[in-house]
Amino acid sequence: MKVVSGTVTENEIKISLSGRIDSNNAHDIENEIMLIVSGKENLPTVVDAQGLEYISSAGLRVLLHLKKMNSDLCIINVNSEVYEILDMTGFTQMMTVEKAYRVVSVEGCEEIGRGANGTIYRIDQDNVVKVYNNADALEDIRHEREVARIALVLGIPTAISYDVVRVGNSYGSVFELLNASSFSKILSTKPEKMDWCVKEYTNMLKKIHGTVVPEGKLPDIKETALGWAKFMKDYLPEKQADKLISLVEAVPKDNHMIHGDYHTKNLELQDDEVLLIDMDTLSVGHPIFEMASIFNSFIGYSEYDHEIVKKFQGFDYTIATTFWKKFLAAYLGTNNENKLKEVEDKARIVGYARMIRRSIRRHGLESEAGRAEIELWKNELIELLDRIDTLLFTRNELEIEAERDNLPQVLSFIEQHLEEVGCSMKAQMQISVAAEEIFINIANYAYAPEIGKATVMIEVSEDPITVSITFMDNGKPFDPTKKTDPDISLSAQDRQIGGLGIFMTKKMMDDVSYEYKDGKNILKIEKNLG
Amino acid sequence: MSYPYKIDLHMHTRVSDGTDLPSEIINNVKNAGIALFSVTDHDAVKGCAEILSLLKKDDPSFITGVEFSCKDELGKYHILGYRYDVAAPAINSIVAAGHNLRMEKLEKRLDFLKREFGFDFSNEDVDALRSLDNPGKPHIGNLMVKYGYAETKETAINNYINKFHSGNKYVRPEDAIKAIIDSNGIPVLAHPSYGRGDEIITGDDMNSRLKRLKEFGLQGVEAFYSGFTPKLQNEILDFAKQYDFFVTAGSDYHGKNKIVVLGDTNLPDESMYPPGLIRFIKAVRFK
Repeated sequence: MKVVSGTVTENEIKISLSGRIDSNNAHDIENEIMLIVSGKENLPTVVDAQGLEYISSAGLRVLLHLKKMNSDLCIINVNSEVYEILDMTGFTQMMTVEKAYRVVSVEGCEEIGRGANGTIYRIDQDNVVKVYNNADALEDIRHEREVARIALVLGIPTAISYDVVRVGNSYGSVFELLNASSFSKILSTKPEKMDWCVKEYTNMLKKIHGTVVPEGKLPDIKETALGWAKFMKDYLPEKQADKLISLVEAVPKDNHMIHGDYHTKNLELQDDEVLLIDMDTLSVGHPIFEMASIFNSFIGYSEYDHEIVKKFQGFDYTIATTFWKKFLAAYLGTNNENKLKEVEDKARIVGYARMIRRSIRRHGLESEAGRAEIELWKNELIELLDRIDTLLFTRNELEIEAERDNLPQVLSFIEQHLEEVGCSMKAQMQISVAAEEIFINIANYAYAPEIGKATVMIEVSEDPITVSITFMDNGKPFDPTKKTDPDISLSAQDRQIGGLGIFMTKKMMDDVSYEYKDGKNILKIEKNLG
Repeated sequence: MSYPYKIDLHMHTRVSDGTDLPSEIINNVKNAGIALFSVTDHDAVKGCAEILSLLKKDDPSFITGVEFSCKDELGKYHILGYRYDVAAPAINSIVAAGHNLRMEKLEKRLDFLKREFGFDFSNEDVDALRSLDNPGKPHIGNLMVKYGYAETKETAINNYINKFHSGNKYVRPEDAIKAIIDSNGIPVLAHPSYGRGDEIITGDDMNSRLKRLKEFGLQGVEAFYSGFTPKLQNEILDFAKQYDFFVTAGSDYHGKNKIVVLGDTNLPDESMYPPGLIRFIKAVRFK
């Protein structure tokens, strides 16, 4: 068998090696390689080591001399034994060395997910493979592995690929996913689990959106969204086109994490753990952009053809719309129809812009059905742009340093929500007084002498309209609803106000309850506005 | 003091398996801009004797060299000897002993091939083999190809010549080291990471090897070598520091027999020469 063969094209030299290279044949192989490359030393050279079983140090020297003559050298299809030798001797640091990838077939495998860049299949009980759409996906794989690691380090449960394989003409990355089922599968096979799914789906998203990402680690989704908005310039009347751009531009910079493709096929339940897959669209930014892509996944893409969601997610359009509404209420902590509608409309603005662009880029304008759909989305978008002046919305949760100086921020956060539900001035004042008492109490004592965080969450339920505000901190356990012994280490003034404060809070609110759970003080006040 | 800009302390002439004559190699060294060089033929010193007689006043600085193939129960080694006296009895007797061993082995291999496979060669061809300083497996292999006993030199070696086991007669590293020292020379381990050419030795294996050879009297390691990656080079440099070894640099140039470029040693800029190399240069240039 011939060990060396080579082909030279106009822009590349390809040398194939097979068998064994050691001191018995290294010299002859070197001569043959020289014959192939001589006079073409400036051409990029690819050494295909697919058939190479073994290389001794005599063979390594041949590769090194080739590298010295031709600096643009890479070695591909290296088996694991040869790779180990190249790695141990430092060759992998000097030149690009690509392992031979295991070949995996996905024929007949269950498709369990589909994202922007690829499709996920279950290849056996314990493993799934994400097959990339892009044939030259090694760079995408590296990117996704890196962002998944960033997410994991920041506390977001996610699967990280452990192997790269060849699937047909493309690449795939393999993840371990033991007996997991996606939320799409749960929703389509066990509709009674809807409320549980909404709760877990929302909690995971809040966790993602509550995660601060260090500067520069992830791309800014606002930049991407601005691209969508600018694309619309050619397809919208000037007035609405300009408004779309200015709305996106007005969204402030936000360093919290955004998943970017948060649909129910990308959320998996493995044992009792909920975990994310398909992390390649991870970015930072304002949650409105996430809401837009979630809206699209449940409703947008299927609004005019209800079969699409069935085809893509496995459950029907009714389940999709119900899930969306329940999710939105849970995420925003309110059942107030006006508030839900407001955020949905904002999500639709970004969502329609994105879908129109996507459809046009996929030749949507070339078919009758495509043109009709784009026209419908466009009309909706124009109507929305004419009446909506900001993409911002307030979330029902505020995490803040528990410090006296932050009190005004806490109070204005609460007041904003109370105004939205049309709360009377009197009730508003009572709630503010109670909130001030509780927040100052946390600021003074929960972490003293250190400083820690407090979370304030507002929830509104209707019939009758009731506002509940929950304060959470990770400080020393303390139940203010219990009558406590006077603390003689405190100044007389503090004691008096503290005592009076909780007394007044109890009197003005309809309910005050306390629990200590998962290392947290959780104090909840409720006021009936009916 | 100023150090030579370019050095190459490892090269072969036609006395062993290179293609340059000793006289040619002097010219090639000069043209390569090398200021200090050594010729290190396998198990032979007569090339150095010839070069000493040929050197002129303005030629590059030269130190004598040799590369011994050694073996013991624990492995195979190439041991370089530098700046020995070419007339010293110790080095000449080990060269002669090595030559006798190879000649003995040649005869045994030829007998074996005839006995086992019926491969016969003409007297002229056998005499030509005998006249070589270092007739080895490749030479016999080439002859077998010429006679049509094998398709290629490799199959000749792998399928026939290697079936013969030459027994346990070889030059031991401690004997080579002692002969070099007794001839006023400096023993240095050649391309340590590659053993005798086909192995890859790193980490603990390298450490135990160097420890044992130092006990035998080894004084240096060839850390700069044309076939080393930065990773291997750095490992040897670390060991050199740990064992307080001299450091040397060589290309292993073989003329037209290999694509190694004369003077290619991977040495950095001279301002970066490690102390072990500077000490070596001082030791060999200022006796």
